[in-house]
Amino acid sequence: MSESAVAHGAHGQHAKPSFISHYIFSLDHKMIGRQFLFVGLLMLMIGGILAMLVRWQLAWPESPVPGLGFISEPYIYPGPNGGGIIPPQTYNALFTMHATIMIFFVVMPIMVGTFGNFLIPLMIGAGDMAFPKLNMLSFWVGAISGVVMLSSFFVPGGPAAGGWTGYATLSAKAQYTGVEWGQHLWIIALMLNGVSSLMGAINYITTVVNMRAPGMGYFRMPLTVWSLFITAILLLLALPVLTAALAMLLFDRMAGTSFFLPEGGGEPLLWQHMFWFFGHPEVYILVLPAMGITSDLLSTFSRKPIFGYHAMAFSMIAIAGLSWIVWGHHMFISGMNPLLGTAFMMTTMVIAVPSAIKVFNWLGTLWGGSIRLTVPMLFALGFVSNFLIGGLSGIFMASTPVDIFIHDTYFIVAHFHYVVAGIIFALFAAVYYWFPKMFYRNMNQTLGKVHFVLTYIFFNGAFFPMHFLGVGGHMRRIYNPLQYEFITPMHDWNIFITWSALILGASQLFFLGNFFWSLFAGKKAEQNPWQANTLEWSAPTPAPHGNFLTTPTVYRGPYEYSSPEVTEDWLPQDKDIGASTAAKAH
Amino acid sequence: MATSSVAHKLDDVPPPAPRPELVGGGPPVRPNMPLLNNARLGVIMMLGAELMFFAGLIGAFLVFRLSAQVWPPPFQPRLPLGVTGVNTVILLFSALTVHWAVGAARVGQTAVLVRQLGFTAALGALFLAIQGYEWARMIHFGLTTSSSVYGGLFYTLIGAHGVHVIGGLIWLAVVYWQARRGRFSKKDFVGVQTTRMYWTFVVALWPVLYGLVYLY
Amino acid sequence: MLRWLPEDVSTYGHEIDSLFYLIYYITAATFVLVTVLMIWFLIKYREQPGRRAIYNHGNTTLEIIWTVIPAAILIVLSFMSVSTWAKIKRTVPPTDFEIQVTAKQFNWDIAYPGADGKLGTDDDVKFDNDVHVPINKVVRVHLKSTDVIHSFFIPNLRFKQDAVPGRTIMAWFEAKKPGKYELPCAELCGFGHSGMKGWLHVHSVEDYQKWAAENLAPKAQ
Ligand code: HEA
Ligand code: HEA
Ligand code: CUA
Ligand SMILES: [Cu+2]
Repeated sequence: MSESAVAHGAHGQHAKPSFISHYIFSLDHKMIGRQFLFVGLLMLMIGGILAMLVRWQLAWPESPVPGLGFISEPYIYPGPNGGGIIPPQTYNALFTMHATIMIFFVVMPIMVGTFGNFLIPLMIGAGDMAFPKLNMLSFWVGAISGVVMLSSFFVPGGPAAGGWTGYATLSAKAQYTGVEWGQHLWIIALMLNGVSSLMGAINYITTVVNMRAPGMGYFRMPLTVWSLFITAILLLLALPVLTAALAMLLFDRMAGTSFFLPEGGGEPLLWQHMFWFFGHPEVYILVLPAMGITSDLLSTFSRKPIFGYHAMAFSMIAIAGLSWIVWGHHMFISGMNPLLGTAFMMTTMVIAVPSAIKVFNWLGTLWGGSIRLTVPMLFALGFVSNFLIGGLSGIFMASTPVDIFIHDTYFIVAHFHYVVAGIIFALFAAVYYWFPKMFYRNMNQTLGKVHFVLTYIFFNGAFFPMHFLGVGGHMRRIYNPLQYEFITPMHDWNIFITWSALILGASQLFFLGNFFWSLFAGKKAEQNPWQANTLEWSAPTPAPHGNFLTTPTVYRGPYEYSSPEVTEDWLPQDKDIGASTAAKAH
Repeated sequence: MATSSVAHKLDDVPPPAPRPELVGGGPPVRPNMPLLNNARLGVIMMLGAELMFFAGLIGAFLVFRLSAQVWPPPFQPRLPLGVTGVNTVILLFSALTVHWAVGAARVGQTAVLVRQLGFTAALGALFLAIQGYEWARMIHFGLTTSSSVYGGLFYTLIGAHGVHVIGGLIWLAVVYWQARRGRFSKKDFVGVQTTRMYWTFVVALWPVLYGLVYLY
Repeated sequence: MLRWLPEDVSTYGHEIDSLFYLIYYITAATFVLVTVLMIWFLIKYREQPGRRAIYNHGNTTLEIIWTVIPAAILIVLSFMSVSTWAKIKRTVPPTDFEIQVTAKQFNWDIAYPGADGKLGTDDDVKFDNDVHVPINKVVRVHLKSTDVIHSFFIPNLRFKQDAVPGRTIMAWFEAKKPGKYELPCAELCGFGHSGMKGWLHVHSVEDYQKWAAENLAPKAQ
């Protein structure tokens, strides 16, 4: 494998590759990144539409959804005018699949798969990933896992309906949910997805460690690369634990073991421990790349060095380290020893500190800048705003006594949508920002701004009132809130949320339209349209297989904006302007 | 840095001269000479992931083991300590042979390399065969996955290791075949080194599992 | 946001609520601070012709300040939470009033000790979904489940505890206002999760005695 990694400098002049080797089984990290992007966006649509169905049911319980009547009976009940009514079992399947798809097939493939693949080699000045074949395999195993996951919609019994957390014993015995193969396929798909991510992680780490261009010390790497590097380490160590747990769950379901079934001597809470031991690092796997990308974008569009580069890198390392010892905060009410609850509360409070550093340093970056409110910048700011709200609501749950009340209510749903769905803002920021590099054309800025304004308003409209519901005691994962007398008075909020969510969903059409229109008809992009410093903008557009015409030499850190040494307000990492800067730290 | 009185203009800075070896093909450029080459680093990463996988399973094992008053649970067959002990020695010996294989590769003795790889694979296969035989007997004595958590843990942990041995045998077979065809030389034997890394992991894991599952 | 909290009728609920308020004020202040600064910076430092951004890589003193202050706040918060948590979850005050709640798909089975005064014996008196308790009495709940995980949730009492198959979990509450309170299941437990609910009836002492005489009297014998 090592020889394929180094032979890439020469790939530039190879004969034009065939369609299959160029678009399908491509070994080029940039093409693999694009593949992840298209699959991820497709899954975003599916996951989003599932969310819309969830919202419909919550606002207008058991009223027919227009156009859903074509689905056959146990899954959807027929309603008037070709509509269909969502039964409780289907509702559970809807949010389970919504969450699973959004997390494992949207945010991970796009934030880690797309941007990890596309950006790491370009940003560190490498020709490709360390293991291009492994990289291709990673995409295809991931794609197969997606197919397996989606195929569970079509098996008898329907897809998994035990929540994305798949708590045993509900998930460990088919009779409890009535889902046989749906849950099997869910397990198998997640295992495959884990293998795919592991291959990616091995690639990213090796590439970052071994293939940085001359002069690219660790502390000259853009924070995007730092974040993806740390994410890869978390992936590498967290996913295998999920795989082990999933294997045990599958054995419980298919091989007659009873790891999680008390009647055979098993322990249901063991599943929760294993799941969250993976699950909490997982949420930081989702958010770290978003933080790295946001840092880069804020610095670029403030035309100002990032505030406290080292603090930013170390706070991400601290978050990653601490994320291993907080998992129990999901289990305060689970019957786990309450003394452990106290310990996990302490660690959870501590993990908020490095996040605080990040937020304040982002503010510090804006301070004194010369801020350009481009579309990527707007979305990056939107991410900061959402992360702030979602992070602060996390403090409520971190306090064990308060969690007694708000656990498993919409307060939690509000919290994690502000953080996980908030990541979608960083995702859009990144797509708008790197689109010129990925597709050689510019996206339309006006449409982008419309997209941002609508998305920002209706995102908050959809998720902020969920706090009110949660404070009112509204449980999550319930099919029909009107079955409860204490929730019924709050029902107007549910309708408001649903309207906001529907408009939020519809607003994404501005993105889709802009994206596909620009793909074919956008204005041709310059090499460095944002006047940014990082190495990917030094590579030609389109960058050939092998990326750089000459291996870049790095003279300085990535954030030398408005440096007094040059008249322009940017100073690319690989520009040699004389000895004085070569010695400069980071 | 503030001392540099004249600010440069970026466009005045000449672009770097193209490096002929990149534009016209030529020998590959290795910017930094890394401590560990990609292949070995990659395998270390993979083993890190494997370690976490087994840590997950072992963690689950300990949860049950530590909370059990009597272990193995009553009415469950005992595990064959003696045979498996001998088997452990067999497997440990294969770590030595794979080590010798790397030694042979380092000095370019292809015949020895091939022989040692062959021994390693044979020892691995023998280990697996004995394990398989014992498994058949255990099942016969009534230790099944569904008979108790004990049985489930036994088959899951030992089975997971067995799958890794099978994987190792396939890996060894490929490298054996490559070695016979003269794929490795004194200068380039990374393939043998990574084989040793993986096989050593599989071997080293075994005494831990033996100690936990059979003896503890 | 605060007015949505359901009325609190338990003896420890106010401690939870005051922690909630405290965190609410802290986070609200943080939110306002960060948001105002952000908007202010966005306006003040917007791109203007002729002005160049400040060339600045950070400020260690500032960074230490904004690391230490949140850290201090959070540590104090967690210490403030410890005692309430210990009171609610780690201890059960002495009591002679016990009930057993067994969750199953999709019902609460409530059991009162029968004539022998002990739970878990044959003469237990059983009800579906309706819990009757007297006011101002510590109620000890033996929480069980026969199939999957459920969660016993009484919003007005700030009470929530998962019921885990294979274990009996002890929990307690003490209601201080008579009334009828909804008792939903808060953990996904299958297709009937939504709608799995019961009622908690809190009676004054006299009313409870009347109810007990009518319903708990050993009718079977
Ligand atoms: C990207 C994802 C992401 C991120 C980043 C976080 C971040 C945090 N989360 Fe969240 N969380 C989830 C995703 C995430 N979470 C998900 C998906 C669930 C639900 C899973 C399920 O059950 O389905 C969940 C659930 C969850 C729970 C369990 C609740 C329950 O089920 O009862 C808890 C409890 O402690 C928690 C806490 C926290 C905390 C303390 C942080 C902190 O890291 C936040 C830190 C950030 C800040 C605090 C803001 C910035 C700081 C400042 C401006 C400084 C000043 C602040 C103060 C002085 C207070 N989260
Ligand atoms: C990355 C993660 C992620 C993302 C992005 C989202 C996005 C959204 N989520 Fe999701 N959600 C989760 C992760 C996520 N969610 C998780 C982990 C759970 C917990 C599940 C569990 O309990 O097990 C959950 C649960 C959950 C619930 C609670 C269900 C319950 O407990 O009963 C709700 C309810 O409102 C909801 C709503 C939404 C909405 C409205 C969006 C919107 O932001 C979606 C907007 C996007 C689109 C609509 C797609 C793009 C649009 C188009 C392509 C145009 C075409 C579409 C239309 C015209 C409609 N989600
Ligand atoms: Cu019982 Cu939910
Ligand atoms: Cu968590």
